[in-house]
Amino acid sequence: MDLQYLIQLILNGLFIGSFYALVALGYSMVYGIIKLLNFAHGDIYMLGAFAGYALLTVAAGSLGAGASIVVLVLIMVVAMLVTGTVGLVLERVAYRPLRGAPRLSVLITAVGASFALEYGIAVGFGPNPRVYPVGFGNGAMSVLGARVTYAQLAMMVIAVGLMIALDQLVNRTRAGRAMRAISQDPKACLLMGINVDRVISRTFFIGSALAGAAGVMAGAYYGKVDFLMGFTIGLKAFTAAVIGGIGNLRGAVLGAVVLGLLESFGTAALGSEWRDVFAFGFLILFLTVRPTGLLGERVTERV
Amino acid sequence: MIRKTWIGATAAVALTLTLSACGGGGLAAGGGGDGGKGDIRLGMAAPLSGSSAAIGPYMKNGAQLAIDEINASGGVLGRKLELVAEDDACDPRTAASAAAKLVTEGVTVSVGGYCSSATLPTLSIFNKADVPMIIPAANSNDLVKSKLSNVFLLNGTGAQQAQAAVDFIKSSGSKAVALADDNTSYSKDISTRTGEKLGAVGSVKIVDHESVTAGESDYSAAVTSILNAKPDFVYWTGYYQEGGLLIKQLRAAGYTGKIMVADGSVDEQMISIAGAANAQGVLATMTQTPQTIAGGEKWIADYKAAFKADPGPYSTQSYDAVRVAAEAIKNANSTKSSDIIAALEKIDGFPIFSGKLKFTPEHTLSEGGFGILVVQGNTFALNK
Repeated sequence: MDLQYLIQLILNGLFIGSFYALVALGYSMVYGIIKLLNFAHGDIYMLGAFAGYALLTVAAGSLGAGASIVVLVLIMVVAMLVTGTVGLVLERVAYRPLRGAPRLSVLITAVGASFALEYGIAVGFGPNPRVYPVGFGNGAMSVLGARVTYAQLAMMVIAVGLMIALDQLVNRTRAGRAMRAISQDPKACLLMGINVDRVISRTFFIGSALAGAAGVMAGAYYGKVDFLMGFTIGLKAFTAAVIGGIGNLRGAVLGAVVLGLLESFGTAALGSEWRDVFAFGFLILFLTVRPTGLLGERVTERV
Repeated sequence: MIRKTWIGATAAVALTLTLSACGGGGLAAGGGGDGGKGDIRLGMAAPLSGSSAAIGPYMKNGAQLAIDEINASGGVLGRKLELVAEDDACDPRTAASAAAKLVTEGVTVSVGGYCSSATLPTLSIFNKADVPMIIPAANSNDLVKSKLSNVFLLNGTGAQQAQAAVDFIKSSGSKAVALADDNTSYSKDISTRTGEKLGAVGSVKIVDHESVTAGESDYSAAVTSILNAKPDFVYWTGYYQEGGLLIKQLRAAGYTGKIMVADGSVDEQMISIAGAANAQGVLATMTQTPQTIAGGEKWIADYKAAFKADPGPYSTQSYDAVRVAAEAIKNANSTKSSDIIAALEKIDGFPIFSGKLKFTPEHTLSEGGFGILVVQGNTFALNK
């Protein structure tokens, strides 16, 4: 295995990992705060891709074909607002009424919400895949002989930017402090005068917006969007969140990068058809050996 | 009280429906034997939704065109033909229920089948119900492996397509070939057969064989591994969605050599997914389409007049499937399954788009009729 090939594999892993990370963050945030595995989260990503598609189709009429990266970022921001709002509504409609219910019922609702989103889009946009009206060229630069396109580079920069922004938000602001407090003890927060419902809504908004951003990026980069595209990435993001320690945000990013690299090297060694087997096999391994994940804390059962 | 009345009303409606369904069923069952009255129903399971949804309407319209022509000239055995189309979504489970539905609707012959993986589970359903199948598009050798007497393939098989690919690769002077498939029955069949046949050609080496998962967006793993093997020819045997993505990602990764796709990728969607610039010059192994057949203009004009749309892949094969079915019923002078099958086996020299029809003992075409297409602009053209 020569150096160039090795670096290419690392770059592939980091690139795919940055997508997983954006989606995994939402998974981890929601789980961290209300201990809910939001299985509709992957479909929020899909929704972001379609929101971006709809906006671009409208915008392409007035802009012409030459959409720049600035236009794309603008559209991404609007799509983030759309998916954030949908996340908000989802929480209000599907999850909040069940907050006192057993975990299993909420999990089932999440699966139902996932199907509702998927087939809602299938009804609205048709079952056929859609092609983004703009794409990126093949312009590329060479890193020690390995190739990375400018589009990939731009995606990674945007993803890292969003992750840093989230990290600052959670660790440096009052809102972030409230989120962290609720994840520790929601009842005590209520007694301390924190509006728990509002913080949970906000968490859903931010997590869904990040997934929406990832969706637009995927649409613009890969070019093709379809209504089932959120399923696999939802599972992968969940895997990443578990590897990193679900509930821990930095862990989610670390888990996503680890998963991206694992997939990249795993498929190089075993062949492409093994990619998902490898990723999910690793999930099982992780759950047996270290169920709390890389950065997760050991939860002590209170007696 | 109100509730009781409702139950009574519902029961009455249900009873009426059942009774009328029985009447319909009796009539349809008559289609299976001699002396039936009413229309002869031809069933077609084709992807009208799902990953290959673009193809379904092409097939349905092609079949409908043939039916309209035959009905206009008096029908078959003095009876009109009727097309019953069901969506198989290119999905094995949906296809099985579509086939079961067609059987209950009393079809005499099945003229559908696009995705091989979705057509496979329908074979036994039609076989048990004694319905002959003339499959217009699906062409995996797996379809004829179990030697069911009712199964006939109207498209060249995977083996014939692989042979066409191998002949082209040899003549193109390429030395290092990478194969890529999507792990479905159809795709894997062609890629492994191409691999086997290429292995027998001394001057060409297979440097890589990748199988990707259909439905994903990121094929960087396969692309990196293909590029690392340094091929000068890549042959993709899967469908157009993944094909478009693979071409795009291969070109973005800096691959400049030749790319060829199999017939499942021959759709203009592939070009738009890959991006027109990336897709230019991409080759394809394909059974003839009306656009590439000399003298196909009149047929295309008829099709356009009837459906206000252009014909596409497998429009002609579906058109032929209906004509072959009608010919067999006419020759058999009966709508009985065994008579039709015997008549199909006897057909010799019936003109269809890919040449003169004669089935081999395995019920496949005696001539494959695969040609090579090339992407020019936003469409596929014959490679000259």
